[in-house]
Amino acid sequence: METRIEGNPSPTPRKWRKLAYGGMQPGYDDNYTDESFLEEMVMNANVMKRDMLKVMQDSISISQYLCVVVLVVCVWTYTLGSTIGETSLLLLDAGLLGSGFLVLFLTAKRLSLNLLSHYCLNIGFFISGLYVLAPIYHTLTRSISSDSIWALAVLLLIVHLFLHDYSGSTIRPPGALNNPTLTSNISLNASIVASVLIASRLPSRLQVFAIMLFSLQVFLFSPLVTYCIKKYSFGLHLCFSFGLVTMTLGLVFTLHRLLFSLLLGLLVFVTAVCPYWLIKMQEYKFEINGPWDEAKLCFDIKE
Amino acid sequence: MELPEAMDERKRHRILMVSDFFYPNFGGVENHIYYLSQCLLKLGHKVVVMTHAYGNRSGVRYMTGGLKVYYVPWRPFLMQNTLPTFYGTLPIIRTILIREKISLVHGHQAFSTLCHEALMHARTMGYKAVFTDHSLYGFADVGSIHMNKVLQFTLADTNQAICVSHTSKENTVLRAGLPPEKVFVIPNAVDTAMFKPAPERLSCDEIVIVVISRLVYRKGADLLVEVIPEVCRLYPNVIHFISFGKTCVKVRFIVGGDGPKRVRLEEMREKNSLQDRVEMLGAVPHAQVQSVLISGHIFLNSSLTEAFCIAILEAASCGLLTVSTRAHQVLPDDMIVLAEPDPNDMVQAIKKAIYILPKIDPQVMHLRMKSLYSWHDVARRTEVVYDRALQCSNENLLERLLRYLTCGAWAGKIFCLVMIIDFLLWHLLQLWQPSKDIEEVPEIVLPHHQPEEMSQNFNEDQH
Repeated sequence: METRIEGNPSPTPRKWRKLAYGGMQPGYDDNYTDESFLEEMVMNANVMKRDMLKVMQDSISISQYLCVVVLVVCVWTYTLGSTIGETSLLLLDAGLLGSGFLVLFLTAKRLSLNLLSHYCLNIGFFISGLYVLAPIYHTLTRSISSDSIWALAVLLLIVHLFLHDYSGSTIRPPGALNNPTLTSNISLNASIVASVLIASRLPSRLQVFAIMLFSLQVFLFSPLVTYCIKKYSFGLHLCFSFGLVTMTLGLVFTLHRLLFSLLLGLLVFVTAVCPYWLIKMQEYKFEINGPWDEAKLCFDIKE
Repeated sequence: MELPEAMDERKRHRILMVSDFFYPNFGGVENHIYYLSQCLLKLGHKVVVMTHAYGNRSGVRYMTGGLKVYYVPWRPFLMQNTLPTFYGTLPIIRTILIREKISLVHGHQAFSTLCHEALMHARTMGYKAVFTDHSLYGFADVGSIHMNKVLQFTLADTNQAICVSHTSKENTVLRAGLPPEKVFVIPNAVDTAMFKPAPERLSCDEIVIVVISRLVYRKGADLLVEVIPEVCRLYPNVIHFISFGKTCVKVRFIVGGDGPKRVRLEEMREKNSLQDRVEMLGAVPHAQVQSVLISGHIFLNSSLTEAFCIAILEAASCGLLTVSTRAHQVLPDDMIVLAEPDPNDMVQAIKKAIYILPKIDPQVMHLRMKSLYSWHDVARRTEVVYDRALQCSNENLLERLLRYLTCGAWAGKIFCLVMIIDFLLWHLLQLWQPSKDIEEVPEIVLPHHQPEEMSQNFNEDQH
């Protein structure tokens, strides 16, 4: 064990080699650093060059969903202010359900009667369950003051918007690859709690049922519908979003001027300022890769 | 600042090794500390090891060669790490430093909280500090970013750093923002006396490929799942025929180790009906590794990332030809077949290894390993680092704080605050328990052991 490679005792030391074996290299200290130091380091290897237009197009999904939520809030406000009655709400529910189904089946690759009956059965269970539970929702928060309810509902909606999965759909569409994430589930639950809170402030049981049905339809199924539209045709997605944004802005304009300007500002921020910001920030990207990185497996692990 | 009297004698260092990882736990770091300490003791230095309590093993223990180990009564809370308390360990570390008249503190492993705390307190008290990094880290995920910041904090003030490979040095320099001249590369070694080849050469009729590693993702267990059936298919067991003038060889695998991926390997074995050709041993205690190794011809390492693979050295020392991924510069080219971490490339490498196997003589390989790697050499090289560290000038708190301040916009200020509080606490301790009240240990000079005994006692020390 006492032996140690000393190399040739020649006066001119051998060139330093990047080796771990053979002990200390004659003529060089262990902290010797030659020009090959860090030469295998790669900086910003996987940085994606982003295109402003592409980022803006991608951000449309966010503004679209933002408008959907604002529309729901508008309907809530009108119902609470008794502008919309029970019958018109039920008609709205039925209309949304019908158009949702229509979109799903028009954008689907192939129509199947089996899937349709499956959907119908589920919706039937869902609606009757909701109807039975409506009296409970009606009296659920009677002991809580209205102010707390508004504050909580706003908070929950913000949480919902913050955690929402804008790229996919929490309700898994047929053929989707990924399972919904934890955050998107939290987001969905926040929106449902917010709907329950709002519904519990309404005077009649039928109204509670109608508003619950409306909110759940929108929060559960609108991401699915928009996802299907987007997958079917991007042009259609853009048109749909544009229509939705205009409708929302119009509706909010009649409701409140300040809210209108706030919403407009928010939409501009999401579709124009944020993409610009993202692209500006790319130049600060500093990614380091090198031989110390864990190797990536070139095949999929089949569990 | 007070410094121990031992500072004047340049020759003999009094070293405190600190890490959360030490025997009875087992791994590369534990091994490294043990062997390095043993060899330093033989060189005439005084070495004391400090680690946290393992189970009911708490207090002071003596190991082979008079190696004193303090098992500090702190419980590990995650992966054998103590709970990071910043200042909780200050009193005991101060007492040990004064009791043992330590001149230099040497911390090991970047995950070890005890090591970071000890180095921080040691620097506050004006001791010289050396740090050895045994691992590689990326730069992208949250865990790495946090660890890199902690490492930067510790390394900002240590006098010298040691890394176990050139890749590790590059990694550490980038992570901690150190000047490269402060970082030494001292690879691990292998106890060649413990890893001896089989006395008689195995027959080459059936080639046995040995794998010993934890069966986890990082060690490339998924690669094994792809590679083993392919190799078995290439070298079928049943047909014996003469083709192109040479007999077809039989290949058998022995897989030692346990881990979450063991199920996948067993599944692969069932699916391809390789029960008779792939033997799964489960976890192999380190004392039995040699006996498993010498039953094979080729050692296969499929790790996806590796700072320094000691397993390869152990295998080579046992005279096995190694097929490995990610093991550049570890062995001379004629002792190892390198492969990319890709199943096809690894199968090709195994084919090549089987082809050159008849030219390999295990005894010659063992002798070469003896000359290439030795813990005594590691100890002598580490001694140089200690000398350098002790030559560093003493700095006052202000100078050190200035260095911390450059570590980052926010982190720098937090680091400074942490150090100032540490400094104040130290002074408070000085008042509460003056250092002259701490009893110093008497010197015990033990007769020096022979190198052979080290490995014999080694197995006893583990238990």
